[in-house]
Amino acid sequence: MNLLDKLLIVSGLAFIAITALRNYRINDKLSPLWYLALTAILVLMSGVAYENTTIVSGLHYQILGFKLNWQFDSLSWFFAIITVVAALASSIFMSGDWARYYREKGGNYGMLQVALIANVLSMFLLLASSDLLTLFIGWEFVSWASFFMMILRPTSEAKKAAVKYAIYAMTGAMALLAAMVVIYTAGGSFEFKAVSIAFQGVSFLGQVILVVLLFAGFAIKMGLLPFHLWQAIAYAETPGPGAAFLGAISSRMGLFAIVLVIIKLVGLSNLAEMKFGANSINMQNIIAWIAALTTIIPTYIALQQHDAKRLLAWHGVGQGGYMLLGIMMFDSIGSAGGLMHVLNHASYQAALFLTVVAVVYRTGTSDLNRLGGLVTQMPLSFLVMLIGIIGLAGLPPMNGFVSKWMVYRSLLVNGQPLLFVAAVLGTLGTILSVYKLIHNTFLGQLRMEHREVREAPWSMMAPMLGLSVIVFITGFMPGLIMPWIASVQESVGLPAVEYTLGGIAFAKGGLDMIWVSGILFYGFGVGAVIFYLLGGKSKRVHQFDNYAGGHFLSSDVRYHYSNNFYPGLMHLIGTWYRGSFKWFEGVLVSIVSFISALFENMYRSRQPVILLVAVVLAGLYVVYKNYAGVVS
Amino acid sequence: MNKMILLIALPLLAAFLIPVVAKFSATVSRLLGPVVLAFVLVFVALQWNVVGRDSFAIFLGGFLPPVGIVFYVDHFSLMFSAIIAAMLLVVWPWGQYTAIRQQSLYMLLAASSFGLVLSSDLFNLYVFYELLAVATYGLVANQPHKAAPAAALRYLFVSCAGSVMLLIGIGIIYTITGTLNIAHLATMIGKLHGLAGLSAFILIVVGAGVKAEMFPVNSWVPEVYGTSSKSLSALLAGLISKLAVVLILRVLLMLFQVDVVLDLLLVVGILGVLSGEMVAWRAKDVTRMLSFSSIAQLGLVFVALSLSGTIGLWLAVGLMLHHLLVKGGLFLLADSMPGSFNSLKGLARRSPILGAIFLIFIFSLLGIPPFPGFWIKLMLVINLAQQDDVLYQIAIGVVLFATVIEASYLFKLVRIMYQKNDENIIKPPQTSTSGMNLLYAKFFALIVVVSMPFVSPISDRLKDMSRQSVNAENYIETIMSQPKLGGQS
Repeated sequence: MNLLDKLLIVSGLAFIAITALRNYRINDKLSPLWYLALTAILVLMSGVAYENTTIVSGLHYQILGFKLNWQFDSLSWFFAIITVVAALASSIFMSGDWARYYREKGGNYGMLQVALIANVLSMFLLLASSDLLTLFIGWEFVSWASFFMMILRPTSEAKKAAVKYAIYAMTGAMALLAAMVVIYTAGGSFEFKAVSIAFQGVSFLGQVILVVLLFAGFAIKMGLLPFHLWQAIAYAETPGPGAAFLGAISSRMGLFAIVLVIIKLVGLSNLAEMKFGANSINMQNIIAWIAALTTIIPTYIALQQHDAKRLLAWHGVGQGGYMLLGIMMFDSIGSAGGLMHVLNHASYQAALFLTVVAVVYRTGTSDLNRLGGLVTQMPLSFLVMLIGIIGLAGLPPMNGFVSKWMVYRSLLVNGQPLLFVAAVLGTLGTILSVYKLIHNTFLGQLRMEHREVREAPWSMMAPMLGLSVIVFITGFMPGLIMPWIASVQESVGLPAVEYTLGGIAFAKGGLDMIWVSGILFYGFGVGAVIFYLLGGKSKRVHQFDNYAGGHFLSSDVRYHYSNNFYPGLMHLIGTWYRGSFKWFEGVLVSIVSFISALFENMYRSRQPVILLVAVVLAGLYVVYKNYAGVVS
Repeated sequence: MNKMILLIALPLLAAFLIPVVAKFSATVSRLLGPVVLAFVLVFVALQWNVVGRDSFAIFLGGFLPPVGIVFYVDHFSLMFSAIIAAMLLVVWPWGQYTAIRQQSLYMLLAASSFGLVLSSDLFNLYVFYELLAVATYGLVANQPHKAAPAAALRYLFVSCAGSVMLLIGIGIIYTITGTLNIAHLATMIGKLHGLAGLSAFILIVVGAGVKAEMFPVNSWVPEVYGTSSKSLSALLAGLISKLAVVLILRVLLMLFQVDVVLDLLLVVGILGVLSGEMVAWRAKDVTRMLSFSSIAQLGLVFVALSLSGTIGLWLAVGLMLHHLLVKGGLFLLADSMPGSFNSLKGLARRSPILGAIFLIFIFSLLGIPPFPGFWIKLMLVINLAQQDDVLYQIAIGVVLFATVIEASYLFKLVRIMYQKNDENIIKPPQTSTSGMNLLYAKFFALIVVVSMPFVSPISDRLKDMSRQSVNAENYIETIMSQPKLGGQS
């Protein structure tokens, strides 16, 4: 029994155990141990990443002449370790006080735990897929497991979002199924190598259809444009830590599949050579532009949100664009940036979501209009959010900066100034909206009803702090995780990045985060010395012992809102928010509705015999056309 | 094996005896039907191994083919006989003490169904088909719903028109060839593959298609299912529609494997899938939704039939069995659900087991792994993709698109069922059968779940069975070269 067998069996056992014990309190404390065990197995398996080997599981299943088996390579391992750490953090977070709180609110905590382990198990199965059929099965498992998690919240909005997701997921699955049968027909099997064979076998049109179907199937899961509408609401409506887990990793399964099937199997050269028209538009550019637009549009939708969870969830959609954009540059640093961003995003997104959930736990709301000034009450949570948003905005010294720097660098080196501008626009929107997030939650005016609020309990603080340590450490010394990324690049056929402990060794200008961070902290240090030692006397005053604009600020004067937060900016870009995609979605539904109404009318007809005669005549006519003259 | 005739004789006898016996002892008359059906089940199980790899034929009345009545017994017909008996037991009107007439009709239905799957002669097929139709008219018209007689009447009209078409088709075939024995016909296939022969086939398909819920002669479906009890709907949607397909199958497989016919079946199937799912999407109550979904599933069966030979039959039988389980189960489950969507709010919260069963059924219906429905859909799509004709590629697109539509309305229902609803709880109608039917639905769901690991062996069996049924030479030989009377080969 090798490590992969153990991983799958332990996660299966965990699923069974958690399901069986879901109504017992002992489960609350036991379930994090399962994730700890899974993490330990994955750490033992890290040879897969460092030495770039493949483990084939001994488990297999024969069905209808297809052999299903599972394997792990560095790509699978990279996504699996992120998954399991996100799950571990979420499960610790929800194991203590939060569980009590959730039960008191009438939630079914046992089911939430079942949903979490179901997600982890199904993701392992997907990541371990060894052919298209196991990929599809894993894919469906992941989709329905996350549907299960989304539907747990009883509000009708959550249910609507979940059902919308189910429809999108089904569309993606059917696109994938169609692509699978095209490959099966052309290549004769579901083996991964049949993809390349099939690709050579089909016509240009067939190739385009194949790539479009595969890409659309995977893009729906990732929430890439134009399939971005479902994700943010569905994730934001998932119960607390579940949202953190889904937001951190769930939609990245789409990226995993894109890297595996489209990058590794279809191949980079095939994408680049798939040219349209006389100009230099090829599939690579198209996908890169989809990625770039995904960084912009959802990010600016996030800017308009007034709910902390939705704001973060919309950023989750937007950040996916950076990952794909980097990978689509097909070079060493761009793709390394894209892949690293998966890990980085998972770490800060989970930290941010958990912080928001902690705030909700203490205050009861995630509405930014009803929060503010919590820094005095929840200083550690503030620190976690600060670290998280620096990461999300892609500023030094956090890990988000490293990955985004690599993507920018690659865009510039590859001569893509327009894409670069798009990426920068996205980052601008991110910075603006994360400032809105932290300002409206922790800074500004403390509301009267929040004066008694205390810091989140340690069961919640511990995973939050742990994640922020990851955000900082991987930003300070990216070299710690760079070997994994280099292995992934090698295994999927991308040029491997050259790295140092502090960052990237790159001929056209590398990056050393130890220096960058050092200088940054040196600057802060100098500032602090000037401020605290050389500055004049300072006095601490209470928040309400203050005045502005000739008025005393007291708690009954509310001056802290997230509505119309950037009036100047909105004056400039406000007219661009037209909801075109929503409109388009509505149009599709209307078309289906119209055609259905036509069919319904037909079924309502009161003269079915006439229909019968008509269909007989039509059938006879067809026969006559084909057989006129052939007399028996 | 002349004993095979018992399959028809016993239920027929029971059908006539039940009203008579009821005059003397209500208990005996109530038990008569189930006992006969149980006997049939046991009998079929015993016959299974006797048939083995070799099918056999029975000649009634001592007339050798091509004259006389011939029954053809193979695993395919045995399997359907067993399913008919089992399904009738499930929907048997146990609770209704007064429904003597209904019980008689059910037995009549049983006799004609067994006859239909065993006959290998067009005229007999027609007779049993008509008998079956008469039994269903009676059952549909007998429903307590106040619109039932009207629905039954309209069903009668269109069904009779279909029967006329069927009869004309059979007449044409007789005129061309001078025989109605299918095996005999199969020896002169050349004569049939002309304008007249194919026209006859079109008439047969459309005629039988009325009951097979074929597009577009299926407009009776929502109306009849809407007014019938859920048990009867389960029977009609689950079983009777399949029996009409069996009639088409016999003729299609042995006589009309012609491109133009297959293309027509494909077009009809595609339109059935598309229209069924799309109208189901607009439905506002459970029965109507299930009825149209049933139309779509039968469309899928026609799509499968358009693949020629063993593969087509194999897929069609797989789809039919799956649909029988799932849609039958859903109709039985619907007996515990109030009709309109609005009154379903929070149902699954109050009764989690009902919600779970519903989810199992719809997951399998949608074809989500690891449920059996996934493998059937996968095999169907793979085999469609291997055809060259562009029509088959369109079929793939339509089938997959229809699945998305299907998912959207089924999950809309799931959303409603899991919604929180504390006020205005509408109690589901407590019909006398709902408790029993819920139990059966649980049992059906259990079969769906248990069959998951056995998909491969089941599919192999079905493939063997299909190979046996499709083998025209074997069929002709078994029936035509019988030296002895009433014997077994």
